[in-house]
Amino acid sequence: VSILIEQDTDAAALRRGTRQFLLAGALVATLIVAAILVRQGLFRQTASLGFITDTAQDISKGQSVKIAGFRVGSVEAVNLRPDGKVEVALEVDASYMRFVTRDAVIELRKEGLIGSAMLEIIPGADKTRLAADEAVLTFSRSEGLSALANNLRDKITPILADIKTITGTLADPRLGLSSTLAKAHDATDSLNALLVTGNQQARDVGGGATRVLAKANTDLGQVGHTLETVNNALPVILDKAQRIMVHVESITADAESSVPPALRDGGALATDVREIVSGAKTAWPIRGLVAVPVGRKLVTDSDPRAEGGRAVP
Amino acid sequence: VAVQYPDFLKPDFSTQGRQVLLLCAALLVACASTPAPAPPPRLQVLASEAENDAMRHYARGDYAAALRGFTLALRLQQSLDNSIEVARHQLNLAQCELALGKTQAALQRASLVTEPKFLTESRLLQAQANLSLGLVKPARPLLSQLNADCETDCTYRGTLHLLQARAALLEQQAAEAVSYSEKALNVLIEKHEDHETANAWRLMAAAQLALSDPTKAMDAAQAALSIDRKLGLPEKIARDWLLIGDIQRNGNAVQAKESYRRALAVAQAASLTEVIKIATQAMKENTP
Repeated sequence: VSILIEQDTDAAALRRGTRQFLLAGALVATLIVAAILVRQGLFRQTASLGFITDTAQDISKGQSVKIAGFRVGSVEAVNLRPDGKVEVALEVDASYMRFVTRDAVIELRKEGLIGSAMLEIIPGADKTRLAADEAVLTFSRSEGLSALANNLRDKITPILADIKTITGTLADPRLGLSSTLAKAHDATDSLNALLVTGNQQARDVGGGATRVLAKANTDLGQVGHTLETVNNALPVILDKAQRIMVHVESITADAESSVPPALRDGGALATDVREIVSGAKTAWPIRGLVAVPVGRKLVTDSDPRAEGGRAVP
Repeated sequence: VAVQYPDFLKPDFSTQGRQVLLLCAALLVACASTPAPAPPPRLQVLASEAENDAMRHYARGDYAAALRGFTLALRLQQSLDNSIEVARHQLNLAQCELALGKTQAALQRASLVTEPKFLTESRLLQAQANLSLGLVKPARPLLSQLNADCETDCTYRGTLHLLQARAALLEQQAAEAVSYSEKALNVLIEKHEDHETANAWRLMAAAQLALSDPTKAMDAAQAALSIDRKLGLPEKIARDWLLIGDIQRNGNAVQAKESYRRALAVAQAASLTEVIKIATQAMKENTP
């Protein structure tokens, strides 16, 4: 009996252990499933946005929606409306809705020049008014490679037209390059003729200059003769000048001793005369006859430069 | 030996001779009775000499030399703290500057003079400078003040009328300018002020020209030219010829060109740069 009792106890312990293992496994599995769901965003709050466009080109379901390069949501649905327009619904994480303003623009861009297309929400200028859930925003497409190519074509086309016109003008036999070269050739011929004439004239001038130099040589000979004559006469003149200078010196020496006293006397005399006249002017009765000097005045002339005469236009 | 004097050396003690001798003796006694006056201060003498030189230069028409002389006299009088003489020389300098065409400097200098004795002269020069600059507005109150001060007897009535005529001419009031010029002539001819009389005739000519009366304008311009020739003032002579050219311009372009040529010749001979430019321009514009 004791053996039977012991076996029952072991069996119960085994059942209890098995039950605990199964419960723990179920708990772990539940936690894993819950983590996967959280990771998949099952419990995340989202907001819906939308836009209308003419074509669904490059737009597809599940396409990334980004703000400032960060993925914040995806394209939920792309539907064709009865009026032919395309309605696109986006699902965006609600926590990023604080960046989406009412005047925000959804732009279709390429990642890089030829990368995959994605939608970028570009917030507007008015940050105070945020977009509500299920708001319909404006849509635009950025210029892709084809648009750039078209733009480039538009710019190159007129340039090509101009080049065509220029080459056409150059090729013109009357006004073009050949005509210009012909004229340049003619001008060169004329220049050559001119140079030939110039050379001839220079030779003529050279001949004239030679004759002038010969004449100058003769004249210089005469000048030399004159100078020789002057040279002979000069000592006599200089001797006379020397004698005159000596005479002048002696006169100056005499004057040096005699003139200053005379000047001093003259100065003293003038001072005396001035004093006498001044005294007489202030003495009775002459001072009554002499007019008292009043403030002297310049001649009145209201237009010394005669500018007034031509003042009339 | 008795000395025989010629008749004219013979002493003549007639009654008349005695009276003359007595008068001479009285004069000598009077002179001797007054002590010799103290000589004036050296700086005062220098200032007077500088002023005399400047006056002579101004009268000869050498205004630059006159300016230098008056500047020296002014400095000397300033060093003597003689405010009356300083004011007088400031006005003389302003007048020289006006004659040299330094009108703005003259206006500034004349406005510095506040000495009551020279206030009238200062106002006259300020009005003249403003009119030379073509500024009638600031000249008007000065002319009104001068006119009010001239109600009774005044020495500057002729000049005042000239300035009033000039202001009227600048405002294109030609009839008013004629009226003032006539008034000025009445005063100036009587006082024999030749410079101002010539100015009055010149203004009269310009005003008559503005009134489209070339005959009267020509008579007046010729009168101005005649006086300016007599006074020997090249700049005024040249400008008179310019005015005559302006008068002839509408009727006889050939004569007008000849008048401008005369103005140019005078200006070139006297090295009057500004007038040379004006005359050359007038000749170009008047090419028949």
